[in-house]
Amino acid sequence: MNLQAIRILFLKDLFLSRRPLFAYFVAGLAASAIVCIPNPTFSFVGFILVVTVAIASGIHLIGTLLLAETTDQTRLFVMSLPVSLLDYAIGKISVVLTTYLIPWSAMFASLMIVTFVMGKQGNAAVLPTIFFFLLGAFTLQLVTAVISESVGMTICVMVGCNVGLNVFMMMLFENEEVSALSKSNVLTWPTVVFQIIGVELLVIAVALVMAFLFQTRNRDLV
Amino acid sequence: MTTELDRETATKLAISLVGVSKSYKHFNLRNINFAVERGTVAGLIGPNGAGKSTTMRILMGLVQPDSGSVATLGKAISSSEAAAKKDIGYFSDDMRLYKPETIGWHMQFVRSLYPSWDEAYATQLLDRFGLIQQQVVKGLSHGQRVKAMLLLILARRPKLLILDEPTNGLDPVAKQEILTELMRIVEDDSRTILYSSHNTQDVEQISDSITFIDRGQVIASSNRDDFLEKWKFIKLHAPEAWKVPIVQGLRLESCHRNLHVLSFSQFGGELPNELQEPGVVIESIEKMTLEEIFVSSVMRGREEGQ
Repeated sequence: MNLQAIRILFLKDLFLSRRPLFAYFVAGLAASAIVCIPNPTFSFVGFILVVTVAIASGIHLIGTLLLAETTDQTRLFVMSLPVSLLDYAIGKISVVLTTYLIPWSAMFASLMIVTFVMGKQGNAAVLPTIFFFLLGAFTLQLVTAVISESVGMTICVMVGCNVGLNVFMMMLFENEEVSALSKSNVLTWPTVVFQIIGVELLVIAVALVMAFLFQTRNRDLV
Repeated sequence: MTTELDRETATKLAISLVGVSKSYKHFNLRNINFAVERGTVAGLIGPNGAGKSTTMRILMGLVQPDSGSVATLGKAISSSEAAAKKDIGYFSDDMRLYKPETIGWHMQFVRSLYPSWDEAYATQLLDRFGLIQQQVVKGLSHGQRVKAMLLLILARRPKLLILDEPTNGLDPVAKQEILTELMRIVEDDSRTILYSSHNTQDVEQISDSITFIDRGQVIASSNRDDFLEKWKFIKLHAPEAWKVPIVQGLRLESCHRNLHVLSFSQFGGELPNELQEPGVVIESIEKMTLEEIFVSSVMRGREEGQ
């Protein structure tokens, strides 16, 4: 493993994604700001926009940084340089994850602050379950893109994840404890929240390990 | 003793492929054997889809062979992939640079991976190729794109250049500029070039040795001068019913009435005795161009395959 090569590949991709990254970061903050407007309609629209930015940034960054490298034939150029498959896999997966985590963290942090500012502290325990679901969905799309190298397959998984998100949120708020928590101004951490987050973290870890394994086991790079 | 000999051979060779095979759904590369000595220019000629690019990708470790062994600059490419690539410059016609970025950005990116990057030479190449650092890749013509990629390869001063159809689709001026630059490189005896093309004229201009490949198999491999010396067209007059004698290396290329045109791949100054028979009048023995040798080799290989 060549840390210098990984660092250069990481910085190269970070630079290449600077424009969409900045756009999603700003859009995420703007959507979070709309949630702050003390009007239920604006709060709802703001929250929908936050989820939309999270989904759009994921699919866009996977497309730009991972799938485009095959379709634009730039991977052949990168792999002709003194870079091993391991360096490439680590650099690629870490940069895709990092670029997604930047707007994701910004939105997550701003919404957590909003819940406290607006006196709905109970939501601070619900929000992590939704944000880790979004991160889990992103890692599933990432592993699909790595394995299939197909835009179509990745979009199919994205659609499945979006449907899953709606079902998840419906089921989440049908849970009496979570429903009560979302309306409460007192922050508590019921067991069900930890259970959900635990499952989500497990999905994220498994998806990332799979993405890494498939990327390094690929025998033919082009 | 054998090990010492093997080691000596390995240090003499820049490229060695032994029994390399690779299977795809609709294409098979079969038992490829060839070697390129250090400090020489080797041409790999084959029709489209012959296996040139696959062979070169195997040499770069970009594609793993199903069987056989591959070594570049004395190192097995599969086990020391990144280290082996440090001294190799690879160009492929299928390779693309990042469209939104400039040539200068690409130079900076490649420079960061190569301590051997020669900035003065890079500046010279920019000038010789008529490129500007601030040019964005998206706006480059095909010829400029090829030149930019070659600049990124040459300025790191690799010991081995693997060039997969670098002159494909170029105008004659751009093609000559690139060939001239490659000939400059060849002046340095320590550097080796493997150059593939389906254009025999380009390969003939710069190559010391030539390998013909067709349908995934090496069909002939020799020194360029040996090819040109040994391959001849024999034009002779013989009765229409005359049968071409079975002589190794002899093949009927065309026949019009009683004029027969044969190709002979083992000419050593004299004609085979089988052609010196009553009723057969030799009209001429002519040199063959590399293109004619290539086409005849391919046709012979395909006939044998059938």
